[in-house]
Amino acid sequence: MKKFTSICVGLMLLFPAFVSAEDFLGAPIIPQGKELNKTEARLELVIPLSHEEVVSYYREALKDFSDIKFRDWSDATYIEDDGNMKWHSITISKDAKDGTHIAIVKDNWTWIIGTLVLRYIGVFVVLMVLFVGMTVSGKLISGFVRRAELKKAAS
Amino acid sequence: MTFNEIMDLLYGTLHTTGLLHLQWSFIIMWGIGSLFIYLAIAKKFEPLLLLPIGFGIFIVNFPLVPLMGYSHGHAQLLMVFYKYGLQWEVIPCIIFLGLGAMTDFGPLIANPKTLLIGAGAQLGVFITFTGTVLVGFTLKEAASVSIIGGADGPTTIYLTQHLAPQLLGPNALAAYSYMAMVPLIQPPIIRMMTNMKERKIRMRQLRPVSRQEKILFPMVTSGIIALLVPSVIPLIGMFMLGNLMKESGVVGRLTESAQGSLMNIVTIFLGISVGATMQADKFLSWKPLFIFSLGLVDFAVCTIGGIAMVKIMNMFLKEKINPIIGAAGVSAVPMAARVSQVEGLKYDRTNHLLMHAVGPNLAGVIGSAAAAGMFIAMFD
Repeated sequence: MKKFTSICVGLMLLFPAFVSAEDFLGAPIIPQGKELNKTEARLELVIPLSHEEVVSYYREALKDFSDIKFRDWSDATYIEDDGNMKWHSITISKDAKDGTHIAIVKDNWTWIIGTLVLRYIGVFVVLMVLFVGMTVSGKLISGFVRRAELKKAAS
Repeated sequence: MTFNEIMDLLYGTLHTTGLLHLQWSFIIMWGIGSLFIYLAIAKKFEPLLLLPIGFGIFIVNFPLVPLMGYSHGHAQLLMVFYKYGLQWEVIPCIIFLGLGAMTDFGPLIANPKTLLIGAGAQLGVFITFTGTVLVGFTLKEAASVSIIGGADGPTTIYLTQHLAPQLLGPNALAAYSYMAMVPLIQPPIIRMMTNMKERKIRMRQLRPVSRQEKILFPMVTSGIIALLVPSVIPLIGMFMLGNLMKESGVVGRLTESAQGSLMNIVTIFLGISVGATMQADKFLSWKPLFIFSLGLVDFAVCTIGGIAMVKIMNMFLKEKINPIIGAAGVSAVPMAARVSQVEGLKYDRTNHLLMHAVGPNLAGVIGSAAAAGMFIAMFD
């Protein structure tokens, strides 16, 4: 109940932020944030709000987009865009002592190519495991069948 | 009745017909539907699917037809087939049940290293993904378009419905059209990628496979796929169930139904529902045209991937594999295997490659399902 209330209060406090939100590559930014690092492809901020309040802000700000995915990692909440937005991901840290750290990263080919290569290798891994499984089971069954036939022939 | 009342009545009746609501876009779709019906009947291009798909395209592109919408809260006829068959992903799985009941995995079990050819043949899927993203498709749309190169209709439909249902019609149409064109697409690529010596490689006759191995195979495969790529177990599980039914030899009636009447029934529903998704307002845009052109590239690169995989394997194998069968890694079963057979015979009339090509052909089915599973995992 306490957590729910604090999130609601946080959302109400952030309401002006929704109205006057800035953005980086189309990803909304909470105005109270202090910029730590900014390049063309990356923006890092620290926000004086709790992790839950920041996540609630982004859930509300991105609720109309269908290709947004929220992933809960052990040390951060990771928001990924699988659509056509210019930004690729927003990482919201959990354990930072001086506020909540946010990193917004631009869509980049490194991620796309990297994930494709890994998944192509994944197809090989699946079929290799199947190959090993089939080879082992084939040898075992062939052995049993041969022994059974030899027994039958002997008797 | 007064003259005005009669005119009102006639005008009202005319408004209930489609005549006053015809648009040029409908006429274009009639042409497209008719083209696929022509290809099915006159050219015999995958007639079992292209005929109902073509008719579905034709019939749904008339104004005011109660086919793909809702009436008083109830789904209309084709919307029922689409919703409960495709949206719920039932039809592709039942098709795989029937396919499994028709398939003999003996050649694959006898030579399991051909599984790697099936994996190599998925190259085009991943390369096309990159190209599709470059031209402006979203990541999910790109995944659903690129799986076309796997040459597996049910897998294409399963993945597209999961990730980008708005592209179901063009993706399925592209997949089945190009599957029918495998005998046209593959031979030039085979000739380009192999030399005369390689084309004449003779392979040892496959070892006999016991009934027990054939019964164990579906269990082993289902278990491994369930552990490694659980998202595609509805497809592969049904595929293996069909095969287990066939190989057990004790459920002849069920096997007969699965490979016969059940398969025929779902094929009708599949074809007409896929066709019905291609309404003019959704189909006539740059995306479907692009899907068709990308599909061709996808198929070609997958063929190249399969042949290249064989060449790589041959660097390490004492007993060489004929690289022509690499093209059969594209899972257009059994068309791609037949293409390998025909191509092999052109260079050596006594070199029969069909049974050797069936192995990678079936491996391609499992490989394309694995690739689909990888894409689903990417977005889940």
